[in-house]
Order: sequence, then structure tokens, then C-alpha cells
Amino acid sequence: MNKNFVELKHISKVFPTIVANNDVSLDVKQGEIYAILGENGAGKSTLMSVLFGLYEPTEGEIFIKGEKVNITSPLDANRLHIGMVHQHFKLVDNQTIAENIILGIEPMKRKFGFIPTVDIKKANEDVALLSKKYHLEVNPTDLIQDIPVSTRQRVEILKMLYRDAELLIFDEPTAVLTPQEIESLLEIIKSLRDSGKTIIIITHKLDEIKKIADRCAILRKGKLVEVLDVKNTSTRQMSSLMVGHDISLEIKKEEISYGETVLSIKDISNVDKDGVQVLKKVSFDVRKGEILAVAGVSGNGQVEIADAITGLIDISEGSITVKNQNINNLSIRERSELGMSYIPEDRHDVGLLLDFTLGENLSLKQYYKEPYCNKHGVLDFSKFDDISVDLIDTFDIRCGEDKEKTIVRSMSGGNQQKAIVAREIHSDGDLVIFVQPTRGLDVGAIEIIHKRILELKHQGKAILLISLELDEVLALADTILVIYNGEVQTIEDAKNLSKKKVGEYMMGVHHA
Amino acid sequence: MLKKQNFFKRAYAGFCGPGKHQMLRVSLFCLLLSLLGGAILLLLLGKDPIAAYRSILQGAGVLPKAKYPGRKSQVTDFLNLLDYTVPMIFASLSVAVALKCGLFNICVSGTMIFSGFLATILVGYSDITPIVAKFLVIIIGIGAGALVGATVGYLKYKYNMNEVVVAIMFNYIISYVVSFFINTKYADPVTRQSVEINQNARLTLVDVEMFGLRMNITTVFILALIAVFVIKFILDKTKFGFELKAVGANQRASRYFGIQVGNTIVKTMIISGALAGLAGVTFYLGCYASIQPRVLPALGFDAIAVALLGNMTPIGCFFASILIMIFDSGTAYLSSRLGVLREIAALITSILLVFSASSGFFRMIANRYTLELADNGGKNE
Repeated sequence: MNKNFVELKHISKVFPTIVANNDVSLDVKQGEIYAILGENGAGKSTLMSVLFGLYEPTEGEIFIKGEKVNITSPLDANRLHIGMVHQHFKLVDNQTIAENIILGIEPMKRKFGFIPTVDIKKANEDVALLSKKYHLEVNPTDLIQDIPVSTRQRVEILKMLYRDAELLIFDEPTAVLTPQEIESLLEIIKSLRDSGKTIIIITHKLDEIKKIADRCAILRKGKLVEVLDVKNTSTRQMSSLMVGHDISLEIKKEEISYGETVLSIKDISNVDKDGVQVLKKVSFDVRKGEILAVAGVSGNGQVEIADAITGLIDISEGSITVKNQNINNLSIRERSELGMSYIPEDRHDVGLLLDFTLGENLSLKQYYKEPYCNKHGVLDFSKFDDISVDLIDTFDIRCGEDKEKTIVRSMSGGNQQKAIVAREIHSDGDLVIFVQPTRGLDVGAIEIIHKRILELKHQGKAILLISLELDEVLALADTILVIYNGEVQTIEDAKNLSKKKVGEYMMGVHHA
Repeated sequence: MLKKQNFFKRAYAGFCGPGKHQMLRVSLFCLLLSLLGGAILLLLLGKDPIAAYRSILQGAGVLPKAKYPGRKSQVTDFLNLLDYTVPMIFASLSVAVALKCGLFNICVSGTMIFSGFLATILVGYSDITPIVAKFLVIIIGIGAGALVGATVGYLKYKYNMNEVVVAIMFNYIISYVVSFFINTKYADPVTRQSVEINQNARLTLVDVEMFGLRMNITTVFILALIAVFVIKFILDKTKFGFELKAVGANQRASRYFGIQVGNTIVKTMIISGALAGLAGVTFYLGCYASIQPRVLPALGFDAIAVALLGNMTPIGCFFASILIMIFDSGTAYLSSRLGVLREIAALITSILLVFSASSGFFRMIANRYTLELADNGGKNE
């Protein structure tokens, strides 16, 4: 058996208001992939931040290779050969890949024999060598701003390897990647292990753990629930340990007849500001009681469909009709008045005003109408509070003790999403558009959101669901539309499509 | 040593940390810090800081002076303070309204000259009866200011031109064009400024003899107070104010909520411009009666720091304006009383302006200390 690389003994971390970690002890063996699984807020990230020196533990000890260590800053962690890839990359956009990697430990040379300068040539060579050695192909002289997300992640990994990291911590590494990119990242992680590195991966995606991890620790509410051998455990077992009760991952679909057509799209096209045609004559209908899901690899035009329908972007041709009314020339608010609800992809930047209170955010769809606003343009904030108290209750939005006066920024991602869904559904439109509704949420929150979507369907609403999660699409959709490169590949009854087939359409394999 | 540092942090975090009235507490802290800075400066010059601050307050009419010349008293000094404060209140409100919408209105100075000049040539030299003239001056101030604001806002909305760049250019364009007209048509050969306006149009009643005193009485202080409450009402209670703040917080999100972002920006700039216009007429046709060509009023820039010291709230702007003007109008007396150079005396006001512009920084530091302390506090338990 291999030696332990890391031993955490009785780690506790107490913040003023919450206990983030409560007496957690675990050991990670040299050369294994160790997954840490837990819901949002279970204390995974805190635990790793303790190991990486971002936080000091309130109690407990850390041993690296059998020696007790005191890690007080990421610099200490680096010295102990611990590296971390954060969920949000920490890269300088307008520098090259190599410059980012060497930042802080630059190879130096002396120009004219005495002026110290950074030896950028050596840096480029070093990075190229390193990327070859670990099969992480990058071009060292590319600028960060020009490369896609998945390559940026490679740069982060190379940054650690350049610092001779032996233990690599990945914090939710797949959250920002497309399905294909996830596959290749998982391969990379495996090959890193095979070359002798020790890996800790924080995630709440069960299938990824199943695919690559050797062992898996499950945290719930700051406590270690269990350490499992991944090979002998089913994902179902893991998920029930993680949330504390069984979660039905599969949602039963029943036969349901559709009502009249609510949204009808005919031949719409859109050209973005760089002159690229993002949508090419897209047409489809959504009927009452139907969930039409748009599947596709990220960046193939699906977000533009939603933006075009809601009026955030203009279309260059075609027509959009809602309830037999052409809405091409209507403003965003007029469209929303027609009964359109939109849960946007980017809840921080688009869906919410983070520095406003929860009450204000919950009222944003109606604040300009009676009874919230009288005809002189004066607002009645007590009405805001009434509706908010109601929604907070119905949708189980967990906020601080300030209730509707809580600043939204301080709430967790899942609850922020619940707030958006609450606001949009409450306005009782006939058409609800969801874009990536469960992105970055934990299993518990995903289940709640999925339930809501199905409830809406049963209430007879027309639902357009745009998601990158193929499993989500397959679980919820009645009809699946696959888009590739701005073109509709197929629109078919979900029953007739297998996961494999949808995947092929997504890659543009079946050309019409 | 470590303990001491901790004590300092604890005290600072306790005073400026997050919680109720944090903004107000940080502003007070900035004030305290600038008083301390001024005191050090005065000590270096060998002056008694306490006496210096007292003479500032005496000069501004807040404390009584030892003796007054004929027909002057603390009352006349205080009335002068109010007179000088009015333009600052308008100017800081103008900056604050724009900042709430995420816009940086640096065009206050130019707008002031524009509205002041228009009012001067349209009403200032005519013989209209006092009440009508004063009323017209105010209307012209609002109109001219709104026009400048609307232009800046429209350029931002229609052509996405950065409002800061546009505003800086507008400052120069207005300043030079107005200077051209003053120099060629309206210049007083002796003072080289524009010819003094008639008393009828002047918003400050000059040398009024009452109770054996000769005083300058501002007629528009009430208007400034009304403006403070109107702006407060608009920001806090109306649909437009709500949209204005939403646009300031996040333009993308505001668009998604159906708010007409461009429309809101233009409207906000009109309000901000109108307030700057009021600052212009109360300055050039109130506190003073003529316009100095080729000089942008410093007040228009100081107003940015004042608005920040007042935390961008109308009430805050009101008190911050009074505070700054106490310093500003008291420094003349300070320099004559203690023999401090005028420039050094003005430096004390500048120190206050610098610290008030940094309130955001102090708030950030305080928040960080609070977090750190909470972190360490956990460890000690």
C-alpha cells in the first residue's frame, strides 16, 4: 500500500456565524485520485482552503508525508508541493500563457552581463517542454484572452506543475466545461495520477467521481459522513449519503397532450457584432404543456435563441410569434407583459441586482405596475415586502435573518437561483424560458428546480429549456431540438432519441 | 507588539466595520483623520492646531470672534457661510445623482459657467423687476444645465461616448467660448471680468441694512433645501429613482428587467445637469456678480469629493457641503489671525477633500479587518 501524502486530523473551521468544518479527519494516499463530494455549502472548499493555506484551521493538525506542518499561506503550500486549480481561474488576461505560468518565479538572466531581466525565451522553452511531458498541449506565446476556457484550465494545471506540485487540488474543475472538454480533462487528471501525482478533486458530479476517482470522501454540513471505495459504490448510494436522503435522479414522464401553440419561431437569423452568423434560419414551435429542450455544445447559438425571443438581441430576419401575435418589434418589457418569463444563464450579471435587497429583486418583474407603483410613479415598498414574504415562504428561499431585506450578494447560489425562478414564475406567464437553470447548483437544489419545471408543465405552460447538461435535457424534455453551429439539426419527440443519437447530432455528425 | 496591532485593528474595525450606519461612521472617520492631518501640518509650521481650528470656526461664523468691525457680527459671517454653501449643495447633488446611476459627471464646472453666462447676459443686464428677474435666473439656470446634461447623456446613449471624456471636453469648450464672448463683449475694463450684473437679478441680497448690521442674505438657501428633499424623494421613493439605481448597479441586468437603460441615462443626466446649472447661477449671480473668463470654478470639482464624503445621499451631500464650506470660508480668517499663509490654510481644506474621496478605501480596509478578526477570534476560542 502506498504511503499517505496528506493526513488531516480533526480539522475544524469555525466562522463567526457557521461551523464550516467540524472535526474532519482524512488521509490521501500518494498517487491516488481522491474525490471530495458534498452539496453546496457542505464545507468542501473551506477544507481545501485550509489545506492550501488560505484559511487557518480553528482546530486540528495537518501532516504532509508524515510530518506535521503549519500552512499559513499559499506560499507555504507551494513549498510543500501543494497546488490548487481554483474554480475561477486566476490568470492575467493580456499576458501570454508562458508569462502567466512563470509569474512569481521567473527565470532570470542578465542582459549585457548586469541588467537583470526575465528570460522569456527560456520560459517559453520550459513551458513547451512541460506541456509536452504531461500531454497538456498549449502554445506558450498565446495570449490568455485569445484562448478558450478549457485551455485556460490547462494553463492553471501547468502553473502548478511548473512549481513542482505533487499534490494537485481541483476545485469544481468541470463546472465551466462542455461535455467534450470534461472528457479530456478527466483523461488529463488520470494521466497525471499515472505519472505519480496525487490528486484531490472537489465536485458534486457523481458520474465524474465514478469515472476517475479511487476513493471518495463525503461531507455533509461540515462533517465527514463517510469515505468510500468508489469501485464498490453506486452513484445512488453516494448521492443519498451526500444529501442525507434518497433523491430520485430519474424523473417519471407521463403521457400528456399538448395544448395550443404559444411560441412560434420562423426562420430567425442573427449576426453578432463580429459579423458571425450565430443563428441560421431557426424555426420551431412550443405548445402548452410541452417542454422543448434545446441541446447543443456550448456556443452553438442556443443562448442567442433565448436572447432573441426575450428581445435582448435583434434578429436579422424571420419572425417570432407569441400567442398569435408577432413580437418582432416589441420592447423587452412589452414581451414580458405578454406573459414571457426568462430565467437567464448568468444569474449574477443578468438575473439579479446583487447589491439590492432580496425584496427588491423579487419585485423586479412588477415594480412599475399597480399596486407597487401608483400612477404618479411613486413606489409603495410595503407592497414589495408583502409579495416577497410570500415568495420566500412558497419557494423556500433561505436568506439571512433580515428576511426580504437581505442583500442578495450574501446568499448562496442555489437560493439566488430559487429567487429568480420565484420571481419569474410568480408573474404567471404562459411561456417560461430556462437557460442553464441548474448550472453550478448542488443535487438538492437541482431536484427542486426540476420539480418546479415539471409543475409548470402540468399547469399547462409552454417551456423552452436550454441546457448544456445532456442528462437534464433527456430527463425533462418532451421534445428535443438539437442545434449545431447555429442550425437546427433535428426536432424530435424525446422518446425517439437516445443519448448517443443526441450526442451525434450535437457534434454535427448527422447533416441533413 | 502583536497584541497592540490587534487592538488597533479591533478598534478600527469596531468603528468603521460593517453594520448600521457604516457609511456615516466611515465619513466621520475620514473627517477625524483629515483634522489630524491638518493638525500635524500646523504643528510642523509651529502653530497651535486647536487655536487654528477655532479660528476656522470663528471665520465661518460658527463660533464668535473676539471682535468685529462696524456693522458686522457672527450673524453676518454665518449668513455668508450659507451664501457660499448653496452652490456647493447643488453641485454635490448633481454629482451624487449621476454617480447613483453609475455616471461620472465631471462637467459640473463647465455647466456652471454655461448657465451662469446665459443668465448673466439674458437677465443680468436688464431692468426687470427683482422678483421676476430672480425667478427667470433660476429658470435659465435649470434649463441651461439640463441642456448640457442632456447632451452629455445623449452622446453616451446614442454613440456610447464615454461621459467622462465628453464632459472634460465640454468643460474646455464652454470655458473658452464663454471667455471669448466675455473678452470681446462683456468685459469690464478694470477687473477684466464680465461686467457686474444688476442687483435686481442677483440671488443674494447684498449689504442689506437690518438690526444695525450690514449683511448678505441668500434668497435661495430654501431652494437648496427643497432640492435636497426632492432628490431624496426621487431616489428613494419613485419608480424612476429605482430604475436609476438599478442601471447604476448593473446595466445588463437592468436591460433584462425591461428598463430602458439609455432613456434612464439621459433623464439622469438632465437632472444632474439642471442641478449643476443651479449651482452655476447661485454661484455667478449669487455669491458673485461677475464671471472670471478662462477659469473653471474649482467648486465643480470639489463637489465630487463632497458627494463622496456625503456617501452620495442627498442629506449627506447637504451636511458635507456645509462642512467643506466652513473650512473654505474660515481659512481666510485663519491666515490673518495666526499668520498662516493662505495657501497653507487652503491645504487643510484639500486634505479634507482627499480623505473624503477615499472613504471607499477606508470602508474596504475596515471590512477586511473585521473578517480577519473574526477569523482569528475563532482560533482563540
